[in-house]
Amino acid sequence: MDTRSPARWRALMALVRPDAARWAALSALLAASSALSLAGPLVIRQVVDRARTGATTAALANLAVVYLLIAAATGVIAVIVAWAATITAWRTTNQIRLRMTRHVLGLDHEFHRRHTPGELIQRVDGDVTSVSDFLGRVVPRAVGAGFLVVGMLIVLAVLDLGLALGAFAYVLLAVAVVVRGRHRAVTEASDEMGSYARLYGGIEERLTAAEDLRANGAGAHALNRFVEESGQALHSSVRRERAFLRMWWAVQGSVAAGVSVSLAVGAALVAADAISVGTAFLLLQYVLLLGRPLEDIVQQLETVQKANGAMVRVIDLLGVQPAIADHGTIAPPSGPLSVNFDHIWFSYGDDHPVLQNIDLHIAAGRSVGIVGRTGSGKTTASRLILRLVEATEGTLSLGGVPIADIPLDELRRRVALIPQEVELFAGTVRDNVTLFDDEPSDDEVAAALRLAGLSTLVDGGIHRPLGPGGAGVSAGEAQLLALARVWLRRPDLVVLDEATARIDPGTEALLDHAVAQLMRGRTTLIIAHRLSTLRRVDEIIVFDHGRVVEQGDRDELAGSDGSRFHRLLELALDEDVAS
Amino acid sequence: MNVWRLAWRVSQHEPRSFWAGWSGFVLFFTFPVVNGWLVGRGFDALSHGQPGEAYRYALVMVVCEVLRMATIHFGAIQWTQAWVHMQTLLRANLLAAQLASGGPEAGQPVGSAGAALTHFRDDAEDVAMFVDGLVDVSAGLVFTVLAAFVLGSIDTGATAVLALPLGGVALATRALDSRIKRYRSADRAATAAVSGLLGDVMAAATTIKVNAAIEPIMLRMNGLVDHRRHTAVRDRVLDDGVQAFSQGAADVGLGLVLLVSASAIAAGSFGVGDLAVFTAYMGWLSFLPRMVGRALARRKQAGVAFERMSGLVADEQVANTVTARSLPISPRQQLAMQGATPPERILVPRVPLRRLTVRSLSARFPSGAGIESISFVVERGSFTVVTGPIAAGKTTLLRALLGLAHQAENSGEVLWNDTVVLDRAAFLVPPNAAFLPQVPQLISDSVHDNIALGSARLEQVLRSLDLAVVGADIDDMPDGIDTMIGPRGLRLSGGQRQRVATARALVHEPELLILDDVSSALDVETELALWTGLADAGMTVIAVSHRAIAFDRADQVLELVAGRLR
Repeated sequence: MDTRSPARWRALMALVRPDAARWAALSALLAASSALSLAGPLVIRQVVDRARTGATTAALANLAVVYLLIAAATGVIAVIVAWAATITAWRTTNQIRLRMTRHVLGLDHEFHRRHTPGELIQRVDGDVTSVSDFLGRVVPRAVGAGFLVVGMLIVLAVLDLGLALGAFAYVLLAVAVVVRGRHRAVTEASDEMGSYARLYGGIEERLTAAEDLRANGAGAHALNRFVEESGQALHSSVRRERAFLRMWWAVQGSVAAGVSVSLAVGAALVAADAISVGTAFLLLQYVLLLGRPLEDIVQQLETVQKANGAMVRVIDLLGVQPAIADHGTIAPPSGPLSVNFDHIWFSYGDDHPVLQNIDLHIAAGRSVGIVGRTGSGKTTASRLILRLVEATEGTLSLGGVPIADIPLDELRRRVALIPQEVELFAGTVRDNVTLFDDEPSDDEVAAALRLAGLSTLVDGGIHRPLGPGGAGVSAGEAQLLALARVWLRRPDLVVLDEATARIDPGTEALLDHAVAQLMRGRTTLIIAHRLSTLRRVDEIIVFDHGRVVEQGDRDELAGSDGSRFHRLLELALDEDVAS
Repeated sequence: MNVWRLAWRVSQHEPRSFWAGWSGFVLFFTFPVVNGWLVGRGFDALSHGQPGEAYRYALVMVVCEVLRMATIHFGAIQWTQAWVHMQTLLRANLLAAQLASGGPEAGQPVGSAGAALTHFRDDAEDVAMFVDGLVDVSAGLVFTVLAAFVLGSIDTGATAVLALPLGGVALATRALDSRIKRYRSADRAATAAVSGLLGDVMAAATTIKVNAAIEPIMLRMNGLVDHRRHTAVRDRVLDDGVQAFSQGAADVGLGLVLLVSASAIAAGSFGVGDLAVFTAYMGWLSFLPRMVGRALARRKQAGVAFERMSGLVADEQVANTVTARSLPISPRQQLAMQGATPPERILVPRVPLRRLTVRSLSARFPSGAGIESISFVVERGSFTVVTGPIAAGKTTLLRALLGLAHQAENSGEVLWNDTVVLDRAAFLVPPNAAFLPQVPQLISDSVHDNIALGSARLEQVLRSLDLAVVGADIDDMPDGIDTMIGPRGLRLSGGQRQRVATARALVHEPELLILDDVSSALDVETELALWTGLADAGMTVIAVSHRAIAFDRADQVLELVAGRLR
C-alpha cells in the first residue's frame, strides 16, 4: 500500500493543478484565520498577568472588548473559507467526474458486461464525492492547522526559545503518531467502500428488475439477498471503525498528554521564575487550540480514509486500459464499405470458441441477411465489425483496411449498429434520437423519426420528455427510435442485430420502405430470426455453432431444395403468409 | 409527519446496539467536566507556587483521559452497528415495498433505478444522521448541566451571561430552518439528475460508443455537474455558517465572561484557576448549541428524506418506511438464529384454474394511451395469442390483467374460476400465474438462482430449462446451471436471456402462463419447440406473438387495434 501512496498523491496533485490559483487564494484566507486564532489567547495572557500586577477594571474590560472583536472576525472568516473551499473542491472534482465518465465510456464492451451501472455510478460519482469532501473539508482544515502550528511556534519563540523547542518536539511527535495510524486504516476504508458499492449495485439491479421480481413473487428472495449484502456492509463498517479507533487513541492520547504536560511544565517554569503565570496559561490555551483542529481532523480522518480508499479506486479505474487500442491511421475509401473476414476465430476468454475459422467476403454496397439459431455467433460477428471485441485469431478488414488500422473515431462515424435492445435516456424525444447532440436541426430529427415510422412521436412534439426507463414508448417503438438515430448519422455500413424483432408484421411492412432507403448507397448486414425481414437482401449467410455453413445469393438459396435457407423458409412458410 | 416519532422507531429497530452506543457517548461526555475541574485546581496550585500539587493533578488527568478513551472505544463500535442497522431497516422497507407482488406492502414503482438509488443511499443516511445528531445532543446536554453546576459555583453572573451567545446559536439555526430545507432538496434533485444520467450512460455505454455520441453526452454531463456544484456550495455554506457561528459563540462567551468578571479579576477573587475552568469548558460548552443547531438542520433534512422515501412505500404512507421487520445482519443476530435461514419465498397457495374470465378491462394512461373495455375467456389448457400493431396496447393488456399497470387508471375485473380476484398483483404470481415481460431483466447471479429465485428444487429448474429450450445452451457452459451470468445477465446472448427468463416463469408449473412477445428473441425452430413443449405439458398460455406458427396452434387470437379488441 505504501508504494502506491506517492502515485496517489501525484495523481491528486495533477487533478488539482488546473485550479492552483484558487487554492492559493484559499491558503491566504486560512493564514489570516489562523493569525486571529493565535491572537485571542495572547489577549488573555495580558489579562492574567496585568491582574496580578494590579490593573484597573477598565483596563481589563478594554482587553475583553478586544477579545470579543477577534472572536467575531474569526467567525466571519470561517464562513468565507467554507465557501471558497467548497466551490474550489467541486470545481476540481467535477473535472475528475467528467474525465472518469469519458474514460469509462471508452472502456471495452467486456468491461461493461462485468460491471453494473449501479457500481459504476458509485465509482464515478460516489467515490469522487469522497475525494471532493476531502478537498473541500479536510484539506482546508489541515492547512489551517499547519498555519496555526507555525504561528504558535513563532509566538512561543519570541516569549521563550526553550518553550518553542519543547512545543515543536511535541507537535512532531503528535503528527508522527497520527501519520503512522493513518496508513493502517486505508485497506479497511477501501473494503468498506467496496462492500457498499456491491450493496447499492445490488439494489439498483433489483429495482431495474422490479417488475420481473414482482410478477414472480420473488420479493422475499431479493430481500434476503439484500440482508446478506447488508450483513457484509455491517462487518466491513465495524472493521473500518476498529482501524479508525486505533488511530483515534493515538491522536487523543497526544492531546491529553499535551494538556497534562503543559500544566506540569508550566508549574515547574513558574516555580523557577522562568515564565509568568500568564505565559503558563497561554501554553495551556495553545495546547487546547491545537486540540481543536486535531480533534476536528480526527473526525475528518474518516473522510480522509474514505477519500484515500476512493482515490485508490479512482486511480485503479483510470488505470484500466481498453484492450481495443486506438492506433489506426488509415481511413478506408469513402462510400459503402466492403467487409472481409479472414480466418477469424473468437472466444470470450474460455475454451469455448464462439466463432470458428470464419472466412467471408461481403462486397461494398451489398445487403446481406444473416440467419442461424441463437448462440450460433451472429451477434459476436456483428460486435467484431464494430470492433467492440477483437478477434482472437485472423484479420477483419473494412473497405480493404484491417480494422485495427482504422482510427476508432473514423470507424464509429462510418459504421452503425441498430441493436436488439435499445437503451433510452431520461430526456426529451429529441435527446433520445440525437443522443444529446445539439447539431441536427429539429426538422432533421423530425424527418428521421417520420422515416422510421414514428410520426406519432413527432406530432406530440419532439421536445416532450420521454419517461425514464422508456415509459411511454413500447419496446417496438424504441427499436424504431434506434433506426432514426442511425438515419441521422448517414453511415457507410449498417448492422441491424434483430433490430426489428419487437415490431409487429403490420408495422414492419410500413418499415420495409424505410429499411430499403437505409440500404441504398451503403453496405447492410441484417441479422434476423424473422425471415420475412430478409425478403429484400441480396445475399444470405447461415451460421451454425460458430461456423458459416452456407453463403450465397438469396434467391438462388431460396430456390435450391438442398439449402438450409430453403429448409428454414419452408418451416416459416406459413409465417410469410400471415404477414 | 412527525419526524421525531419516525426517528424514534428507526432508532429502536435494534435497541441493544443503540442504547449501548448511546450510554458510551453520554458517559464519554462526563469526563471533560472532571478534567476541566482538575485543570483549574492545577492552575490554582501553579499560581500559588505549589508545583508538587500541580504535578499530582496532571497525573490524575492522565488516568481520566485513559478512562474516557476506553469508554468511547466501546461506544463507537456499538454505535457503528446501530448506524448500519437503522439504515438497513429503511432500505429494507423501501426495497420490500418496491418488490412486493401486490398486497398491503406494495408501493408505487419508481421510474429510473439510478435516480431511485439516492433514496436508498442518501435519504436513509440522512435519517441516521438525524438520530446520530440527537445522541450528540443528549450527550452534550449531560455535559452542559454538570458544567453549569461547576461554573455556577465559581461565578453565577459569569455563568448566566454565557446563556446569551449559546442561546443565540439555537435561535439563528431556527431562523435558517426553511432555507436549509430548500437548499437541501435542490441539492438532492441536482444529485439525482447527475446519477440518473450516469446510470443511463453506463447502462448504454456501447450504444453511446457505436453512435459516436460521447461528446454531446459529456456536454450534457458537464451542465448537470456544474449545476450541482452551485447547489452543493449553497448547501454547504449555510451548514458551515451555522457551525462557525456556534463555534464563534464560544469565543464570544469567554469574552463576555472576562467583561462581566473584570472587577472580580482585578480584585483577585476570580483567580487564574477559575479562568482555567471556564477556558477548559468553553470548547465543550459550544458543543451543545452546535449539536442542537446541527440536529435541527438534520431534522429538516430527515424530514425531506422521509417525504421522498414515502413516495416508494405503500399508499405513500411515511409510517411504512419504518415498519418493524427482522433483519439479522450482525454476527450476533445470525448466531442467535442458529443457522436457520429465513423463508426464501413463500408461494401463495395454488388454486387450480378451470377458467379465467376478463371482464371490461380498461387501463388508461395519463397520455391517453391504454386499453379500453377488453373482455375474453381463457379455458384451462388453451392457448391464447394476442396480436396487433405497434402501440396497440398488447403489453398494457397483459400488465393490466396481472395488476401491474401501475401508472394507469384501471377498471374492470378478472375472474379466476368465476371468483373475482381482488388483489391481482398479489394473487397472480407463481404457482397461480407467471409472467415473462417483453424485455426481461435478470440479476448478476447464477443461472440456477435466477430461475429458482430462492424456492425451487433442482429437478424443477432443470425441467423448466428444457421446456424453455435453453437446457442445451446451459449444459454447454463451463459451470452449467451454476454459471454466473454477469450484471443484468449480459454474459448471455439476447436469446439466451429471454429463454432463461422463460424458464424462470415456468419453474413452478404455473396454472396460467403469460408471455409478452417471446418470439422476438427466438428463431422459428426454437419458438416451435417452445409451443410444442408447452402444449404437451398441458399449460394454459396467453402469449403475444406475430408468428403464424403461433396462430396455427392458438385456440383463440385476440387482435388489438388502438387499445380495443377487433
